[in-house]
Amino acid sequence: MSEEQKENGKEPAANTPEKPEAGASTQPAEKAPAAKPAAPAAAAKPAAEAAPPPPPPAGEFGKALEGAGIPVSHLGPDAEGIERIDIAPADLLRAGEFLRDQSQFDLLLSCSGIDWKDRLESVYHLYSTKTHKSLAIKVTAVDEHSPSLMPVWPAADWHERESYDLLGIKYDGHPNLTRILMPIDWLGHPLRKDYKVNDPRLVWNER
Amino acid sequence: MIRVWSGMNGKDGELMTTIDIPGVHTEQGLKTEDLVVNIGPQHPSTHGVLRLVTTLNGEVVKDMEPVIGYLHRSKEKMAESRSYFQYQPTLDRVEYLSSFFDHYVYVASIEKIANLKVPKRVQYIRMITMEMNRITSHLLWFGTFLLDLGATSPLFYAFREREDIFKLFEDVTGARMMYNYYRFGGVNADLPPGWIEKCRQFIRTVPQKIDEYEAIVTKNPIVLDRTVGIGRMDYETCMRYGVTGPSLRATGIAQDLRKTNPYCCYDEIDFEVPVGKHADVYDRYLVRMAEMRESCKIIEQCLDRIPGGDTQNIRNKQAEIEEARKIAKEKGEDPKAIPDIDPDWQYQGQKINLMTYKPPAGEAFMTCESPRGMLGCYMVSDGTPKAYRVKWRGASFSNLSVLPELMIGNLYPDLMAIFGSLDVILPEVDR
Repeated sequence: MSEEQKENGKEPAANTPEKPEAGASTQPAEKAPAAKPAAPAAAAKPAAEAAPPPPPPAGEFGKALEGAGIPVSHLGPDAEGIERIDIAPADLLRAGEFLRDQSQFDLLLSCSGIDWKDRLESVYHLYSTKTHKSLAIKVTAVDEHSPSLMPVWPAADWHERESYDLLGIKYDGHPNLTRILMPIDWLGHPLRKDYKVNDPRLVWNER
Repeated sequence: MIRVWSGMNGKDGELMTTIDIPGVHTEQGLKTEDLVVNIGPQHPSTHGVLRLVTTLNGEVVKDMEPVIGYLHRSKEKMAESRSYFQYQPTLDRVEYLSSFFDHYVYVASIEKIANLKVPKRVQYIRMITMEMNRITSHLLWFGTFLLDLGATSPLFYAFREREDIFKLFEDVTGARMMYNYYRFGGVNADLPPGWIEKCRQFIRTVPQKIDEYEAIVTKNPIVLDRTVGIGRMDYETCMRYGVTGPSLRATGIAQDLRKTNPYCCYDEIDFEVPVGKHADVYDRYLVRMAEMRESCKIIEQCLDRIPGGDTQNIRNKQAEIEEARKIAKEKGEDPKAIPDIDPDWQYQGQKINLMTYKPPAGEAFMTCESPRGMLGCYMVSDGTPKAYRVKWRGASFSNLSVLPELMIGNLYPDLMAIFGSLDVILPEVDR
């Protein structure tokens, strides 16, 4: 991971804003890393303020995937320095197999669903017990459907069920996609941003 | 058909007679039927509220399905309606046996997003408290695991030391179990004066106490009979289910984030990662016992190396500086020429208003090595005072999912040994 950080250190230090106020914009989080160039760069070229932000730097694993012919959009590292990539749902399984076999990612840590109001997104965090590196894969669901990563990492089983339960992302190819944390007859998906907490239909204990 | 032999041990003697009642006896012996048993949700040995829908054939487990969610308190939804600081006390209840770790990943993810500076003294205080918390967590596991196997006395021994550590925690945080001590870029208060010496004296006695436990348990023939060779889980199985922590290290893989991806100041500390060999229940026990000894070593080194030393020392230094500035002012010199106290000696990096604190937009996935495995917090901030999304990766969640694989084909009495050895805590599973 340190290598990666060094490499990214040459780019504008945009991934971690210098001051808490520097990046306090209201845009979605994954656009934030590239949103503000570092302070010295901005001071040198004030005219560049209006120009579109530079594309996030390509990371080690994103480049390897591109080398294997799998289209990837780079999102740059997150605040902790973990490389993030965005993969289209159609390429996910192919990319997963490549990362497992070639890049030695043997451990799927978690699958987190995020409701961005206009789209649903699954974020898979991978870890390698051999190289000790981490990677985050983001997949945007199409019509609430997203391919399951269970054929590649069986550890995704319960994590995808949880994501389905709480956010309603339907994982195609999952053998047992049922609710896991909420009661089996619960209505709706609680972590959606438009979920109504006080809906009278949801008073479960009084039925 | 059942064959009756004259000898004592099955087929030693000669065949005397055969019994054959159609429908009851089969070629293999007595006909048995599958029986579905619900173990839990309220069961003394499930360490929380867990239901295991188990299909038994005789004493052999044919199928098992864990049903979780009985303790779901919607921690991730709660983050949407609370400010960052208001959400923090609820984390103590996610995993109440080692809550310092939950606080650490939460606070550290915000520190990463906001790029807050954390003084070195704070890092050391965090390491000391986390390692002591690891000992209390393993001690509770030690007591309850053996209680599941039928031994009552180890629990009392384990709770004796656990209570001593809780008294030390009470001095620092004001609470025995629900600490809420870490803050963004610091800790709530500095260590009380004299605490370091008190802690050092206590920690020196712990390895002897662990010797005492091991004298009762490690070579105990009943424990050996019930644990050696039971619940084997190889490295591939661990990866298939995402199992981490001592259960993974019992397979012989030295995967410990403190060593492989050091956080805080673990790279300055000299310690070893205990690993097992046979990946069975007994090895998981040995790994945890060895980890407690390593934690003692880490704490002793931290107490020696903590910047500033005892709190009284820092207070004296502060008073000296103030005195010198007063004298300089009287003399008509510039009081600001006298240097301030070393920033690494402070217990709070930068003064922030906690109630209205908001980090900039960004995201971070922080992991740390909790007593149960890799604990992760995925924080997505959109620049408002409330978190956009907080996702918890509890180690117990993945560690529990391997249970059916380990149990199918095994005997029912081994359930408590195998389930106990995974050290699952249900509040962390359900969140």
